[in-house]
Amino acid sequence: MKKVDPAFTTVKKTVCPFCSFGCELGVVFDDFGVKGVEYIKDGSSGGRLCPRGSAAALYLNHPLRLSMPIKNGKVLDWTKLSKNLKNAFDKPASVAVTFDRNLTIEDYRSIIGFCKATGVENIASTYFEPEVLLREFFGKSFSVDDIGKARMVLVVGDPFNQTPMLSKALIEWKLRNRKNRLVVVDTMKTHTAAFASDFLKCRTDTEPLLLLGLAQENIAGVNVPETTGVSVSKIADISKDLKQSKDALILVCLSFAHTYDSMLLVEGIKRLSAYAGKQIIPFVEFPGFEGNQRFGTILDKIKKKKIKHLVNFGELFPFYYPQISKSLKTVNIFATSPIKHKDHTVLPVALNLEKQGTILTNRGDQGLSGTINPASGARMVSEILALVKKTEAGGRTVTPPAVTINLVERAKRIVARTKTPRKKKTLRLLGEKVSYNFLGLFEKEKLKINPLDAEVLGLKPTDAVFLKSKYGEVNCRIKLTTDIDQGIVVIPAETPAAKGLFEYEVVDNIINFIPTEVEIWRKG
Amino acid sequence: MAKRIVLDLDLCCGCRSCEAACKAAFKGEARIRHGDIAGEAYLPLACKHCNEPLCLAACSVDAITKDEATGIVTRSAMICIGCQSCAYACPFGVIDAPLIRHISQKCSLCSDREEGPRCVVACSSGALKFLSDKEIKKHQIGMRMVSKHAFYRRSP
Repeated sequence: MKKVDPAFTTVKKTVCPFCSFGCELGVVFDDFGVKGVEYIKDGSSGGRLCPRGSAAALYLNHPLRLSMPIKNGKVLDWTKLSKNLKNAFDKPASVAVTFDRNLTIEDYRSIIGFCKATGVENIASTYFEPEVLLREFFGKSFSVDDIGKARMVLVVGDPFNQTPMLSKALIEWKLRNRKNRLVVVDTMKTHTAAFASDFLKCRTDTEPLLLLGLAQENIAGVNVPETTGVSVSKIADISKDLKQSKDALILVCLSFAHTYDSMLLVEGIKRLSAYAGKQIIPFVEFPGFEGNQRFGTILDKIKKKKIKHLVNFGELFPFYYPQISKSLKTVNIFATSPIKHKDHTVLPVALNLEKQGTILTNRGDQGLSGTINPASGARMVSEILALVKKTEAGGRTVTPPAVTINLVERAKRIVARTKTPRKKKTLRLLGEKVSYNFLGLFEKEKLKINPLDAEVLGLKPTDAVFLKSKYGEVNCRIKLTTDIDQGIVVIPAETPAAKGLFEYEVVDNIINFIPTEVEIWRKG
Repeated sequence: MAKRIVLDLDLCCGCRSCEAACKAAFKGEARIRHGDIAGEAYLPLACKHCNEPLCLAACSVDAITKDEATGIVTRSAMICIGCQSCAYACPFGVIDAPLIRHISQKCSLCSDREEGPRCVVACSSGALKFLSDKEIKKHQIGMRMVSKHAFYRRSP
């Protein structure tokens, strides 16, 4: 291949905004626009980038990148859109302002300031990923060197696939001293679990109970070893070692619809941290922001027709959660998105990569350089807000209503659920978060299925199948693996179609996506 | 000096960062593939730039050539007619058959990039290394798989 003359290309350095690790990367431009990604050797990650970082150029150059506002798929000019937005804000009591990811801290503050100036009181987060519950653990700055000092690391989830940038430190730490103990808690055998010294494989949905068991919590009427399938001696051994180990760490990654009760899972992690006196380190794609209400309250108000307009800032809502659409039929939705969607009024917005601002990472606040110009037609959040009212960005934030968790009641619900038999001919679908499947930019999702289940269904390796839940249907290829138990199937929940399969519950006004029963049959 | 990609099996975490880096750079076509051992381990598989490449011998239009100085086996996209002979001839199965642009995909060790292959620099766990023949003297093949402990990862 011909060498590219550096005189014809420009590399613009920035921070990867696609997860909380905050790696430095370069975006390469030539005369025709974005050319690719450059790996910055002297950057914070030594040039290493996970698939999300490599996808930066694909996302910037997405074939469906939106350049004009659209309403139900038809182009709308900015003047008309501005008028529609202003009309919506005429009665602020009937408007809800929501936000998900792809926002900087400055964007969030502008939105809150705007709500105050316009009198909007319904403010909520629409980032429904369970990882958002880990935001409270971002207080202390983390460096991968901290792993090197530990003798024991307890991992919840699969960082090798979810946060691969962590893998080098973890693997080198483990190989350096065989006595270093890596404990993994999960319901399926992942790459991280395969590497662990101790893999605490618990039954589907029972991770919260296992963590509470490790924290030596006695929950009346709940037998943790029996429900989780992890022995009493193993729980006691890990629990004791975690408490006694100096500088031990608890690393946490959560996946969409992987666990029945994400809130109880986070409560379990918190109690384990308090019991053992060890730091929790969260790894997420986006830490999320809070509104003054939970989204469940907004849904109630929509149901009672108190809210007529919903304005969402971000990139996921409502497009990636089609199962919620039924509840949103009576509301007029304006949503920002970097790419085209055929429903609702969609406003083209700049990606975080194209902004100047600050994002929250595991190493504290990181600055986005703002050296990359937004794609043609895409606007900044502040520009969109100014269509209605010009406001100054301030230091404003809001706090959501506190939630009290009834531990016993929630634990008992999990126990009851594990005893409920599956419907005939159905399997339980779990979600996973694999960085390689980031937004479906590299590969269409594959469904992991146990070979014994595949045999019962008459499926062969790499068959294409239909997967149907109460809410939707997708077709995808299968991958046979004994890493997962019989009765469950696993899909990376990264596209609207895959996310749209999952059932959800509203508990304490918080939306929680849960493992879902699905039917599977061969295509053709 | 000829340099080769070396995979340290002990370090690979199976995250497919290498494949993503390759796909992102080459219009969605990955030149590095993965082998899956019974669902236990993932192995990145890249072109080994063989001393006597069978793909070169099989190419009916001489689109594949070997640079004697660097040892890199390259394929000319302008000459390739997409007959897939190289894909069938490769004993390691690292040349991909899907012909999106009517040319077969062939690793060129990112010769457009002075710093070396993208898969190596992107590797999140540091399992892929780009070493000179001097550094990997005993091995002449392009991609060597090394491990201090055979399948250490799988036997805690």
